[in-house]
Amino acid sequence: MNRIASALVIAAACLLPIAATAGEIDLFAAASMKEVVNELSDNYAKKHSGIIFKKNYGASGTLAKQIENGAPADIFISANLEWMEYMKSKKLADDRSIATFAYNSLVFAGRPGVKAAGLSDVVRLDRIAIGSPKSVPAGEYAVEAFRKAGIDKQLEKKLVMTKDVRECLLYADRGEVDGAFVYKTDALQVARSARILFSVPQEYYSRVTYPMALTLVGSKKAEAAGFYRFLESADAKGILARHGFSVK
Amino acid sequence: MPAFTSAEYLAILLSLKVAIVATLVSLPFGFGVAYLMTYRQFRGKLALDVAVNLPLTLPPVVIGYLLLLLLGQNGFIGRYLLQPLGIRLIFTWKAAVIATAVVGFPLMVRSIRLGMESVDERLIQAARTLGAGWFDTILTVIIPLSLRGIAAGSALMFARGLGEFGATIVVAGNIPGVTQTIPLAIYEYASSPDGDRMALALCLVSALISVVVLLLHEYFNRRIAGAD
Repeated sequence: MNRIASALVIAAACLLPIAATAGEIDLFAAASMKEVVNELSDNYAKKHSGIIFKKNYGASGTLAKQIENGAPADIFISANLEWMEYMKSKKLADDRSIATFAYNSLVFAGRPGVKAAGLSDVVRLDRIAIGSPKSVPAGEYAVEAFRKAGIDKQLEKKLVMTKDVRECLLYADRGEVDGAFVYKTDALQVARSARILFSVPQEYYSRVTYPMALTLVGSKKAEAAGFYRFLESADAKGILARHGFSVK
Repeated sequence: MPAFTSAEYLAILLSLKVAIVATLVSLPFGFGVAYLMTYRQFRGKLALDVAVNLPLTLPPVVIGYLLLLLLGQNGFIGRYLLQPLGIRLIFTWKAAVIATAVVGFPLMVRSIRLGMESVDERLIQAARTLGAGWFDTILTVIIPLSLRGIAAGSALMFARGLGEFGATIVVAGNIPGVTQTIPLAIYEYASSPDGDRMALALCLVSALISVVVLLLHEYFNRRIAGAD
């Protein structure tokens, strides 16, 4: 009987939420930032023992919605200005901390054997993956470019909507779509078989900008503020640049 | 209620189309398997039973993923059978039908089996002794007497098909107007910060269709029960 009781106590203790240890930082970052944010946080954790990162990567819009619904986040990095504005308007982000983290650009990555030299060639392809423009910034930039180039109607039924930009790339990599609109950094570091066929001319879409901010919860945590300062440092910019992001 | 655009109407129609086609396509196979499982003894019966019921317990996303690996550009069937024939399944509505059919199949087989098991064995024997061949027996004894199970199985599968998400999103993708069914549209809206109203409106449509299906199911059940 005693043994059963003690086993139950131990089991119950396991179920208790781990008391929020002092050094925990919750990062919510755009999916395209995965590798670079992993490296940044690993670097930081090495120098500051006791700090544990919990990372959540996904479509920026999805992350914003998760935070709005109460997901624990200290730092939010979005892949466009829209979702940061949204966080601001909902009073979820600390206004004063909003700063630009990095820049990127949009490319078209095709599966092997596909040829396309510009946006006008894309309409001849069968299936094209983009992030769902409702929540994925890469998809929004792509749709913006289609509109400016006047090909949005022709592409309408060819667009496979993905939950984030990385899934887009995966589809092109597996050859299930002819190509995907992704960020240059995605195509350079993550693609296995898909190749960049062309860069989307900058005049067709607003510049891909990554704003970052402390959330209201995060602004009250010293550890989060410390990591945030590191993200603004020259060291961090160096790592970003090495991963192919522009920093100015 | 927010105004639906053509993409939402197409999603609703597509959901119905996929569920109906998947149910109709599966019906003969479901009947065949149920017949084998009920009336025949053969080696590997247990294996067939497990294989048929596996989709019931496997996560739908596993089924979707296995289908993708099998039917995709680099998949065994995809590369050696579909490509030479010029058939493209992945990311078309046909892939959604296949995914829905596989996921709903065990539900259909189970219901039809229940229906067949309730058929009085002696009636079948009587039909045989009176000279009816096995096909004749199926047509004139087994089908009419297990109609309730067949109808229930079809309704269940149809309802399951309307809700299919996990396998569908993997093999059919999410193409508005082409493969985007109601659950996929809801998923897309639910992950967007300003999509709540549309997501809820589609949830309402989904609930309405489900209620209608369940009511029809009940109605047919009663009619068939009354006919007995």
